[in-house]
Amino acid sequence: MKDNVFFKGLMAEATICSYCGYCRSVCPTYEGVGWESCSPRGRLHLIRMLLEGTTLTADQMKRLYQCTLCGHCTQVCSTRIDLRQFWLEARKQTVLRKLSPPEFSTTLDNITKTGNIYNYQNDERAGWVEYMDDPPDDLYQRDRAEVVYFVGCLSSFSPRTQRIAESFVHVLNAAGVDFTILGEGEVCCGYPLLAAGMHDEAQKVIEQNLERVRATGATTIVFNCPACRVMWLEEYARHLPGVRMLHSTEMLANLTADQKLPMKEVNRIVTYHDPCDLGRNGGVYNAPREALAAIPGLQFVEVHERRERALCCGGGGDLEMIDTALCGHVAAQTVKKLAATGAQTIVTACPQCVRMLTRGKEQTAPDVSVKDILELVAEIMDRPLKKSQDEAVQKCPDARHPKF
Amino acid sequence: MSLKKLTTISADRVTEDDIERKLYSRDLAFVPPIMVKPFFQTLPDAIIRPGNAEQVADVLRQATNENIPVTPRAAASTSYYNSVPVHGGWVLDMNDLRDGIEVDTVQQTVRVLPATTWFDLDDALQQKGFAAKSYPSSAISATVGGWVSMQGQGIGSLRYGGVGDQLVNLQVSMPLVRGELRTITRRSDPPLDWFVATEGTLGVITRVELSIRPRPAAESHHLFAFDDLNILSQNVASLACAEPRPFTIFFADSGYLRLMERAGFDIPLELPQPAFPVSNKGVLLVSFQGESSEVTNGREKLLHTAGKELSSDLALDEWNQRLHHLRTKRAGPSLLAAEVWLPLKELSHYLTSVKNLAERSRLLIGTYGFVVAPDTTLVMSLYPTDERRTVKYLAAIGFTKRLHDLAARYGGRPYGVGLWNTAYLPRLFSRSQLAELKRRKALLDPSGIMNPGKVYQAPFPLWPITFGPGATMLGALHLSLGKDRS
Repeated sequence: MKDNVFFKGLMAEATICSYCGYCRSVCPTYEGVGWESCSPRGRLHLIRMLLEGTTLTADQMKRLYQCTLCGHCTQVCSTRIDLRQFWLEARKQTVLRKLSPPEFSTTLDNITKTGNIYNYQNDERAGWVEYMDDPPDDLYQRDRAEVVYFVGCLSSFSPRTQRIAESFVHVLNAAGVDFTILGEGEVCCGYPLLAAGMHDEAQKVIEQNLERVRATGATTIVFNCPACRVMWLEEYARHLPGVRMLHSTEMLANLTADQKLPMKEVNRIVTYHDPCDLGRNGGVYNAPREALAAIPGLQFVEVHERRERALCCGGGGDLEMIDTALCGHVAAQTVKKLAATGAQTIVTACPQCVRMLTRGKEQTAPDVSVKDILELVAEIMDRPLKKSQDEAVQKCPDARHPKF
Repeated sequence: MSLKKLTTISADRVTEDDIERKLYSRDLAFVPPIMVKPFFQTLPDAIIRPGNAEQVADVLRQATNENIPVTPRAAASTSYYNSVPVHGGWVLDMNDLRDGIEVDTVQQTVRVLPATTWFDLDDALQQKGFAAKSYPSSAISATVGGWVSMQGQGIGSLRYGGVGDQLVNLQVSMPLVRGELRTITRRSDPPLDWFVATEGTLGVITRVELSIRPRPAAESHHLFAFDDLNILSQNVASLACAEPRPFTIFFADSGYLRLMERAGFDIPLELPQPAFPVSNKGVLLVSFQGESSEVTNGREKLLHTAGKELSSDLALDEWNQRLHHLRTKRAGPSLLAAEVWLPLKELSHYLTSVKNLAERSRLLIGTYGFVVAPDTTLVMSLYPTDERRTVKYLAAIGFTKRLHDLAARYGGRPYGVGLWNTAYLPRLFSRSQLAELKRRKALLDPSGIMNPGKVYQAPFPLWPITFGPGATMLGALHLSLGKDRS
């Protein structure tokens, strides 16, 4: 989480930057691109040039967005600049100057028209529930509940990650948690808009979600998507005093500690990938590890690049909209390190990490499986989650191809 | 210029993009265009990013054939334009030649590609049960090849010497043999020592082999607060000769602590307010690493240290921040500095003189240092300024000469040469030393294509007749413009 870092404005911090290059050493996209302009210090100076009136070409502008907002640069910055905040503010400025890349307009259109990044009808948002075993009549959409499970766009619509939502609901049911999902009342949390610099547009979805959550009377909101959680903590929390905002792993750690989730023994070697928005940017490192430690028989191996030093999956910061090949490169590099631990399964706690690492493993470690921790737990519970993702996807074929 | 003749290098490894070239035309310290543009061509004609040693050799072959200046560059984490071109030409971005770490556990040596950072090298060694013997205080970005090319003194040098002492061999691409790759040892012709601290002016390092140490079984860190800089200096000098030898000794005066405080960070002791008169306080960090018995014995030596020992948590915090001294820049927003080698016996005089200068002129100047040998310390004196105010900033740049002059009075000399410190060549080298360096340069780089404009000769603006009065005048201006108003 942010520790003794500062942000006093773009020009102020661009002047404070010492050009030491610490940020370059840890930047996953600089590693992939290789040119100084794609290093954080290079990017920062491009922004400074822009603010000073230099005209940048479209290719040069693209450098500003070849960034996953992973926050690793903030972690090492020698002058303690909150660089993640710097990148977000810079993107906001490019929108104000009408310089943001055209790719982002698709996202804006999707979210504005449909309430989700995929451009599906938002009333399909809870479609995955219907494919679970014995869903209740209310499809988990209740007027009032102690806990709101905010599913997020990826787990609602992406076929690879809908299974995570099913798994979490299975876990919540098994533990007897009084929860609700918001169904079509949930819209995108706004993080992709904020990452694109579109603050005004983000504000609109924030208001919609706030209204819906308030109506439930919930005292806790839980997220399986770390980016949603960070967004809620940073942009919503001040409007919801007294409401706890937890990541699913935090709830999972509590439930396993209270022995509310009886699990079968599992004979598997597992490593854990810290998602950037859960760990570095969200401050949660221990909960997923505590949950994994509670799984009987599981052999856990830590990757060297973990916790504050965790590698990025490549999927953050809207990079997938700008440079999908670079995303793939970053994902492959990260999987290579994770697979080198000898793990049979890479466990993580983020639907976007699951998507990206699944993509990355195809090139580097096809024999390794990638799972969200919720999927793993739901599989090995005394009463496991039954349906496979493929069956669900077959029933929902139009969800197979995300539209961004 | 024949970029197309670089047959081994694909087009995506070469760029002539304007903005990209601009980003490669600076290093750590911002220098106003008025000091640069009329005299130097810092904008490279192209940047080439070789992916392996053979591609480096190809570039050097082509550059030699066509007399194209070549400036090797990796992190560019120095501040004297050491890796910034001053005659255009090609910048060789070496950053893709990294990792390739091969440890010889029997000989306790490691082979590594030159653009590997010291942090990454040490991290990889630690995983294999070894450690780097020493590393720079900018280890997170500073590269192995870069530090060999510079002076190579830093954290751990007190115990294990500089990187030059640890070298086993280098692989170098040299213009003398049209880029051919040669392995350079202590007995080769030319020998290894020629390539240490010569800032890429003789060839391009493409691989480094150096000695390493077993991962220390134990370490301990001890932080002391002093009310008197003289006593602090005496303790530094005696601990630097102590056996067992500390891994490193770090010290800082009240000016440095005040800069850190102004930058928004906690400091380990309370300073009097207001900032003037300048407090005589300072801190000393002593770190031991090695076998448990060595560390225990070292700790016992500290019983005679005169300062007040602070908590072990504070000591560990200070140790953990050893690579983050640039945090002080937040007190700027710009920061200028004079970095010098200083005889340890003169540390007290130097610190006192800086304190007196700061007090007389009401300037905030902070000094810290790492002891790198029983009789030598590196000292960095920093002062805040603002590069957005050109006149004020130019005056501040001139003030570095005042600090260098002050250090010279006590036997100090600048650390590193690059472009800007050629102004101090007579302090850096004796006539015979400089003549020998020039002979080597002429022998190995007869066309003078390697990093031209650095190390051997001051350009016109930095001649004593031009630089001396100019810098002195600007420095005097800083004394009036740079006054601390708090």
